[in-house]
Amino acid sequence: MPPIENDTGRAELKTRIQQLIDSNPVLVFSKSYCPFCVKVKDLFKELNVICNAVELDLMADGSNLQDMLMEMTGQKTVPNVFINKTHIGGCDKTLQAHRDGLLQQLLGGENETYDYDLIVIGGGSGGLACSKEAALLGKKVMVLDYVVPTPLGTTWGLGGTCVNVGCIPKKLMHQTAVLGTAMQDARKFGWEFSEAVKHNWETMKTAVNNYIGSLNWGYRVALRDKNVNYVNAYAEFIEPHKIKATNRRGKEVFHTAARFVLATGERPRYLGIPGDKEYCITSDDLFSLPHCPGKTLVIGASYVALECGGFLAGLGLDVTVMVRSILLRGFDQDMANRAGEHMEEHGVKFLRKFVPVKVEELEKGTPGRLKVTAKSTDSDEIFEGEFNTVLIAVGRDACTGKIGLDKAGVHVNAKNGKIPVNDEEQTNVPHIYAIGDILEGKWELTPVAIQAGKLLARRLYKGGTLKCDYVNVPTTVFTPLEYGCCGLSEEKALELYGQDNIEIYHSLFWPLEFTVPNRDNNKCYSKIICNKLDSERVVGFHYLGPNAGEVTQGYGAAMKCGITKEQLDNTVGIHPTCAEIFTTMEVTKSSGGDISQAGC
Amino acid sequence: MAHRLLVRRIWTVSVRDVRCPRAPSSALYSTSLCSSASPQPLLSPRRSLTRALPVTSRRQVSFNVQDQEDFTERVINSELPVVIDFHAQWCGPCKILGPRLEKAIGKQKGRVTMAKVDIDEHTDLAIEYGVSAVPTVIAMRGGDVIDQFVGIKDEDQLDSFVKKLIGQ
Repeated sequence: MPPIENDTGRAELKTRIQQLIDSNPVLVFSKSYCPFCVKVKDLFKELNVICNAVELDLMADGSNLQDMLMEMTGQKTVPNVFINKTHIGGCDKTLQAHRDGLLQQLLGGENETYDYDLIVIGGGSGGLACSKEAALLGKKVMVLDYVVPTPLGTTWGLGGTCVNVGCIPKKLMHQTAVLGTAMQDARKFGWEFSEAVKHNWETMKTAVNNYIGSLNWGYRVALRDKNVNYVNAYAEFIEPHKIKATNRRGKEVFHTAARFVLATGERPRYLGIPGDKEYCITSDDLFSLPHCPGKTLVIGASYVALECGGFLAGLGLDVTVMVRSILLRGFDQDMANRAGEHMEEHGVKFLRKFVPVKVEELEKGTPGRLKVTAKSTDSDEIFEGEFNTVLIAVGRDACTGKIGLDKAGVHVNAKNGKIPVNDEEQTNVPHIYAIGDILEGKWELTPVAIQAGKLLARRLYKGGTLKCDYVNVPTTVFTPLEYGCCGLSEEKALELYGQDNIEIYHSLFWPLEFTVPNRDNNKCYSKIICNKLDSERVVGFHYLGPNAGEVTQGYGAAMKCGITKEQLDNTVGIHPTCAEIFTTMEVTKSSGGDISQAGC
Repeated sequence: MAHRLLVRRIWTVSVRDVRCPRAPSSALYSTSLCSSASPQPLLSPRRSLTRALPVTSRRQVSFNVQDQEDFTERVINSELPVVIDFHAQWCGPCKILGPRLEKAIGKQKGRVTMAKVDIDEHTDLAIEYGVSAVPTVIAMRGGDVIDQFVGIKDEDQLDSFVKKLIGQ
C-alpha cells in the first residue's frame, strides 16, 4: 500500500493506533523477526504479564503504522512499547524501566500513586547525602532515622555512626592523645611547665559531645532547608512499597514510596558470653561515657579496637588489648603489625591468642570493677584479670535483620546480614537500593557511602550515568602511629599479580619533628607496591607515620590518575616533610637492602 | 588602692547577685527589687542576704517551654509580649546570652516575659520557627513574630531589642 497522503486517512490511522493503545494494558508494536522485540516479549512473559503484539511486518499497512507511530511518539524503531497508555520506548528503555521499577509500577495497575518518590531508611552519612540530593532534584523525599539504645542505654542524634559514635569523636579523642605526646615533646623544645599534667575525661567528653550536638542540629536544619521530610522513627517494610514507622512512644504511621534506599548501617557485635551486654561497653558507649574508663580491657583487634585502645593509652590509662588471632584483618599485615608494635612500645599491653569466656562484676561504680576470664586459643591456659572497663570491638553487624526485608523480598546474605547489590547499588528488588556499610563486599567508610548515595540519586532522578567507584579508596586508621593506605595490601597484590610481577619499594623514616625529642626513630615506615606488568603502576600505597590521613589523601588522588613509580620519582618532594619519602624510594623489598635511617 | 579595688569587687558581685533575675510583677518583690535601681542599699550585706533566699511562689522572668501545647498556651497565646530564646546545651554563646537576656527582660518589670526553648528537646518548634543556628532570639507579640536575631548581643543592644518589643 502506498503512503497515505490525505488527512482523513491519517486521522483514521491515528485513531486506530490510539484505540490499540487504549484498549491493551501492554502493547508492543513489533516485527516478528526482530530480536529486540523478542527480548521485550520474553520479559513480559517472564513477568507473567499478557502482552499484545502488533507485528508490523505481517500487516499490509505496517509501514504506514510505523510512520504514524514515529509522528506520535518520536520513535521510528520497534519494539515500541506502551503500558497502561504510557509510552515506554524501545527495548533498552523497557529493560531500564524494569530495572528502575517503573515498569512494575505501571503494571501495578491503576497507576498507583505513592506518598513519596523516595524513602531513605537510615539518617547516616549515606542516607542523608542521598536524600538531600534527591530532594534537590525536585523529588518528594522522606528520611527515617532511629537509634536503638545500646544495652547500657546510650543513644544519640541524627547523623549516623560516623558523626556520633565513629570518625568524629574518635578523631577528636585521638587528637587528645596526640596533644599529650606533644606536651611531652614540648619540654625537649624548651617549653617549661612545672606542674604534673593531668587529663580530665569529663571536660573532653563534654567538649566532644557539644561539637557533635552542633553537627546533629546542622544535619536537621539541612534536611529542613532542602525539603526532606525527616522522621525520628524506626522503619520496617510491611509490603514492597510500604513501610511502618514506629516512633519513640510506639506510635505507628505508614508510608509508601515508589523507591527505597536502605542505609541502616551497622552496630557493634557482642560476644555472646555471660556478662557481655550487662557489664561491657562498645564504641557506641565509649565516646559519651560519663566517667573516665580507668583500667581498660579492649577485646578485639579491629581498627575500632586499636584506635580506641590507642587513644585511651594516650590519655595515660592502663590498656590491654585481647587479640584472638591477627591485628587489623583485611589490612596489610606487615603494616598492621608495625602499628601494633608501636602501641606495645608505648605501653599498650597485648594479650594474644586469647578469647574471653565471661565477664563478672566485682563492684559497681563509676567506673566499677570487672573480672574477665579468658581462655587461650592454643592451650589450656586460662587468663583472669581485673579491669574497670571492658570495651568490646570485635566487629560490627549490619542492621538488616529487623526491617522487614523478607516482606519486601530483598535478598540478604544470611551469613553476615549484608545486602548484595549490582554496580548501581540496586538490590534484587528493582525499586529497592542499598548504600553504605550494609553492602556486601564494599568499603565501610563514610565518604564512600556519601559518594554512593549522591551518585545514586543523580542516576535515579537526573539521568546521571556515573557509578560509585569502589577502587583505590584511600583510608586511614588512627592508631597512635597513624596508618594510611590506598589500593592493595601486599598479600592481595601477591595473590592477584604473583610474586614475580610486583615490585615493592619501602623505607623507614624519622620525621623531623621526632628528632629533637629523640623518639620513635626507625618506626615510621612507607611502602608502595608496583605492578611490573604495567609500567610499575602503583597498586598499593602504605604509610605509617604522623598525619597519615593528610599524606594519604593526596597520594590517593595520584593513584586515581594511575601514577607510576617513575612519575613518583619525577615528583619533587616538599622538604622537610614525611610525605616526601615517597618521591625518593629506592630500596626494593626483594633486594633485602637496608632501609633504616642512620643518625647524622 | 587596694581598698578601692576591694570595694569595686564587692560592688560587682553584689550587682550580679541581685540583678533583677525574676519578674518583679509579683507584688511581694516588685518594690524592693525595682528600687534596686539605686545601688546604695546593695552594698549592705544584710539586705543582699535576704534577697538571696529562694522564693518559689514568685513569678519568674523566664520559663522553660515544656512542649508544643505549653508553647501555644504560654507563648503564642500570651497576653504579654514574649522573647523566645532558642538555645542548646552544646552551644557556648547561648550560655552567655541567656543570662544577659534575662537581665534585660528583668529590667522591664513584668511587661515582657521570656520563653526558653531547648532546640534538642523541642526540635519541631525550632524547625517550625526556622532556627538554623543558636542562639536565635525571637520577639513575639500576640502570636506574631515581630523581630529576631541570631548570635550574641551586648546588654545595650538587648535592652533596645526588648524595649522595641514592648513598644517603648
